[in-house]
Amino acid sequence: MGLIGNWLDRWSERSTRNVAQRSSRRSALNRIGKLMVGSAFVLPVLPFDRTSQAHAAEARKRKQATDDTACDYWRYCAQDGYLCSCCGGTVSTCPPGTEPSKVAWVGTCRNPVDGKDYLISYNDCCGKTSCGRCMCNTSHGERPGYRLGLHNDVNWCMANDSSVFHCTTALIVGLPEGNA
Amino acid sequence: MNSIAWARRSLLALACMGATVALADGLDSTGVVEMAPPTPQRLYVVDPAFPHMIDGRMHIVDGDTERYLGVISTGYSASVALAPDRKEIYVATTYYARLNHGERTDVVDIHDAQTLSWKGEIVIPTRHAQAMAARNVTQTSFDGHYLFVQNATPATSVTVVDLKARKVIAEVQTPGCWSVYPSPSVAGRFSAMCGNGSMLTVTLDAAGQVLSRRQSAPFFDPDKDPVFTNFDRYQGRYVFVSYHGQVHVADLSGEEAKFDAPWSLLNAADRKQHWRPGGYQLLATHEPSGRLFVTMHDKGEEGTHKDPAKEIWAFDLNTHQRVSRSPGYGAGGLAVSRGDKPRLYALNVEEAKITQVDVSGAKPRFLRTMQPIAETPIQLELQ
Repeated sequence: MGLIGNWLDRWSERSTRNVAQRSSRRSALNRIGKLMVGSAFVLPVLPFDRTSQAHAAEARKRKQATDDTACDYWRYCAQDGYLCSCCGGTVSTCPPGTEPSKVAWVGTCRNPVDGKDYLISYNDCCGKTSCGRCMCNTSHGERPGYRLGLHNDVNWCMANDSSVFHCTTALIVGLPEGNA
Repeated sequence: MNSIAWARRSLLALACMGATVALADGLDSTGVVEMAPPTPQRLYVVDPAFPHMIDGRMHIVDGDTERYLGVISTGYSASVALAPDRKEIYVATTYYARLNHGERTDVVDIHDAQTLSWKGEIVIPTRHAQAMAARNVTQTSFDGHYLFVQNATPATSVTVVDLKARKVIAEVQTPGCWSVYPSPSVAGRFSAMCGNGSMLTVTLDAAGQVLSRRQSAPFFDPDKDPVFTNFDRYQGRYVFVSYHGQVHVADLSGEEAKFDAPWSLLNAADRKQHWRPGGYQLLATHEPSGRLFVTMHDKGEEGTHKDPAKEIWAFDLNTHQRVSRSPGYGAGGLAVSRGDKPRLYALNVEEAKITQVDVSGAKPRFLRTMQPIAETPIQLELQ
C-alpha cells in the first residue's frame, strides 16, 4: 500500500544510496512481463522508458539479496507497506486467506548480484486487517498521483472485492535486456 | 436498604431516565462535555491508524493547553475536509458490512465540528480514492457548497457532492490527472494536476452538468522535476513546490489555469548541498505576513522526496527571498494557524509529535513539542 513506514530503515538505506538524478542512462528493462495491472486498465505510463526512473548505474547501491524480510532487500527500492514475507506470505506470494491485488504500482530496482535493473510490481495482499509487521517505506522512483502507476500513497487493493490492505509483495515482472 | 445500595439504585434510575442532574453528597452523574468555543489554535489531526486502518480517526486537540478535546471516527482509508467556516467536518470513507469484507459502502460522513456528533451521511460511488489522507484528495468549494472527492479504481474521476442538498450531483472523469483544487471564486469549478505537467479545469453548473473542460499548457516537466500535489493557498492562489525546489503559483479561479513564472527555493550553495523539499503536507502559508514555510532536507536524491525535514525554511512570497531557516523538528507536515498570532505547527510523522513555533515575529521562536497525540498522524488542519 503506500503508506508511511519505518523511516529508521530508510535512513540507514539512504546513506548507501547513490545520487540517482545525476544518471541519465535509461533503464535496461526491455520487457514488462506479467504486470498485474488488471485487464480492464492499462497504466498510461510505465517507468522502464523513463530516465527519471533509472538507477544510477555507478556504484554504491549496497542493497542486499539474501534477506527478503528486511527493508534493504533489493526488490524493495520503491516498497511501501508491511512486507508479506513477514506476514505468512513470501516476497511474491500472499499470506493464507488473503488475495493478491488486481492492480499495482511499479518500481525499477537494481539487483546487486548481477548489477541489472528489474521492473518490480508491488502487489498488495488484500482482505484482512493490516499485518502490522515489517513496515518498509522506500520511494525510489515514486511519483505523485498524476503518475498513478508509480504512486504508492494509495491503496492498491482498491480494485479487489475487499479493498482492505494487509501487506505488500514485490514481484519481478520485467527482466533486464538480454534476459527476456 | 443501606446507603450505598440506595445510591446505586438511584444512579441506575437516573441513568435509565437519561438524567444528568448533579447529585448531592459529592456523587457524580454522567453527561457529555461541551467543548469551549474554538480558538485559532484548535488542531485537527488526521490519523489513518495504519496498524488497523479500518478504524481511522481524526483527533481534535487544543494547541494552547495540549488538552485532548475529542475524536471523530473516520472509517477505512478516509480523506477529510473541514468546512470553510469550520462548522462541519466531512469524511469521505469506506465501510464494509463485515468490517473487512462484505458489501462496500462509500459515504461522506458529516460531523458537527463543535459537538463532534455525527450529523448524517451522503452515500457516494464506491470509488473514493483510498489514498493517504491529504488536502488534495478531498476539498470543499470555496463557499462550502460542494465537496470534491478524488476517486481511483484506478481510473481516476472526481465525485461532486452538493453539501446543501446532501446528494451527489456528478462524477467527472479526470483520466491521467490527480487531486481536487477548487476554484477560489466559482463554486462549481475545480482543477486537477495531470501526468503531462498540465492542469485540467472543469466547470459544472448547479445540476452537475459539465460546462467546460480546459487543459492548460504544461507548466512543469513531470519527468525532470515532478510537482508535489499537496498545496497551500496565498491571496486566492495555489502554491505548489516541486521535488527540486521550484515554487509554482497557480491562479485557478478561471476556466483555464494560469501560472506565475516559477521561482526557486534554492541558491547556488543550497543546490550544491542538494537541499530539497520533502514530506507529505510539506508546505504551509501565512496569508497576512506573506510567508511560505517548507520542510527541507539536504543530500537529497532520487527517493528522498518524503524524507522528514532537517530544516524548515521560510520565504517571503512577494519577494521570493528566504527570510529564515529553523530546525526541522523531523517534520513531514506543516500548518500555520490563522489570525494575528500565527503559530507554525510542525508534524513529526514518525514520532507522532507536533512542535509549535511562534512565527509572529521576524524570527521563528520555538515554543514547545507536544506529547504524541495519534498513532500515525499524517495530516494537520487548524481552526
